Amino acid sequence: MERFRPVLRAGNARFSREAAQRPILLFEDVYKSYRQGAPVLRGVNLVIERGEFVFVTGPSGSGKSTLLRLLYRAETVDDGRILFLGRDVARLRDDAIPFLRRNVGIVFQDFKLVSSWSAHENVAVALEVLGLPQRLIRARVGEALERVGLAGRGDDPVGVFSGGEQQRVSIARAIVGEPALILADEPTGNLDPQLAIDILGLLEEVHESGTTVVFATHDRTLLEVRPRRVVVLDEGKAIDVPQGIATDEYDNRLPL
Amino acid sequence: MLSIGTTRRVRRGMVREWRLHALSVFSLAVAFVCLGSALLVVTNLKGVEERWTHAGRASVYLKDGATQDDVDALRAALDRVPGVRGVHYLSSGDARIEFGQRELEGNRKLAAVPVEAFPASIEIEVAPETPESDLADMVAKMKQLPSVDGIETYRSWTEKLARLVRGGVAASALLALVVLAAVLAVVGSTMRLALQRRRAEVEVLKLVGATDGFVRNPFVVEGSVQGALGAMGAIALLGVLFLLIRGRLDSELAALVGVEPSFLPWQVAVAMVVLGGVLGGVAALASVRRLAAI
Repeated sequence: MERFRPVLRAGNARFSREAAQRPILLFEDVYKSYRQGAPVLRGVNLVIERGEFVFVTGPSGSGKSTLLRLLYRAETVDDGRILFLGRDVARLRDDAIPFLRRNVGIVFQDFKLVSSWSAHENVAVALEVLGLPQRLIRARVGEALERVGLAGRGDDPVGVFSGGEQQRVSIARAIVGEPALILADEPTGNLDPQLAIDILGLLEEVHESGTTVVFATHDRTLLEVRPRRVVVLDEGKAIDVPQGIATDEYDNRLPL
Repeated sequence: MLSIGTTRRVRRGMVREWRLHALSVFSLAVAFVCLGSALLVVTNLKGVEERWTHAGRASVYLKDGATQDDVDALRAALDRVPGVRGVHYLSSGDARIEFGQRELEGNRKLAAVPVEAFPASIEIEVAPETPESDLADMVAKMKQLPSVDGIETYRSWTEKLARLVRGGVAASALLALVVLAAVLAVVGSTMRLALQRRRAEVEVLKLVGATDGFVRNPFVVEGSVQGALGAMGAIALLGVLFLLIRGRLDSELAALVGVEPSFLPWQVAVAMVVLGGVLGGVAALASVRRLAAI
């Protein structure tokens, strides 16, 4: 059985120098459509290096979420290849998908938390699936909650948390397993502008520790406050803006 | 072996949805009560059959013209037969009196039956370990004697009882199928409902990399626990009913059939609980298998 094996995780005993040279993500001619004759992605080509922070943007329906869903195999490509850590995600067998997802932290617009669980339980679940001992889980969940500014709130049910706090719990769950890649799918969509900046700052802190972050958003203000690489999805194609839209000469041509 | 995480998730699921699980356990208990009742009847019938099979009794009915010499000769001959423990002569008058004591009180029509209607007999007590073939040999030889009218070994009664037991076993097997269907339906529906209620939980589990087994295991364990609890509840309920009924049962009835009523043997009770657990687990697995898939 082919299982997804992480080769680039920090501290991994089987660290591969050769693998470390390869891009963490590679999209080659990726096609995806939900309806006949109306493709969402038409030949997307994209390279994301290890340790990058990349914004993915575009108007509603441009395929931002689809691009991310293809990455963690909630969807499958119609054609093309998506290489994550050198492995073709599209060709993984069903029983290998969980092992792929253990290497990817995902943050959603609607948080995807279990409201009846405590913050600790919501974060711990990412480690429980790995079969780690409870003592280690408690320690690492405590650290993750502290990193996102929720130290001491572990026992509170997330149902009583504010939107910003819930998103912090969601980020803690995404980072607690120390994944190689964080996918954030409109993580600030339900938050007010100040909270949105806070969440962006939090993900930037995660990125500073060496984690690759792909941040999908249609919020132009976020793209303007940070001069980071932007991938714009338009009519199913990816337009790469390496220096960010605030300074880029192509700014006026971008469909935002 | 269950992991600590799975055990915790099972406990959490059952506590948070205790009403749903309690309803399911109650429904299963009702189904198991049907099976348990049938098994209880079979167990007691089997006890009576065993008792009667090994009762070691035979009645040799004498012709009306049999003399005291014939009786003495017969008794002497029977005393010498291996396996015969006791021989007792019952005259027509004695039989009339014995029958009257048991049946005729308060029944004047039967009281008018003449004494000639009760044939004299020799009652034989045979050792329980006497083989059937030896008894059959003895009966065949005695039938040749001119003073013997007929011999009752009560085999026809035990055969009727054996048929009844076989019928009870068949009915129990049928009820076991009904229980199987009930467990599949009840646990299956409960688990599907529980899965729908925990949709968000399942979605989160899949997103963080839980395998299908990790998602399904708590549901399978919950189904198994439900089945086992349902069977245990049924056994407890039957036990209470059994004690109530036994208390009111006429002791003379027990004396008549020769055995005291007994509850289900512990092996049968354990087998019912195991059956409940296994069926519950299988039903849960079958119902969440597709829904909990990646």
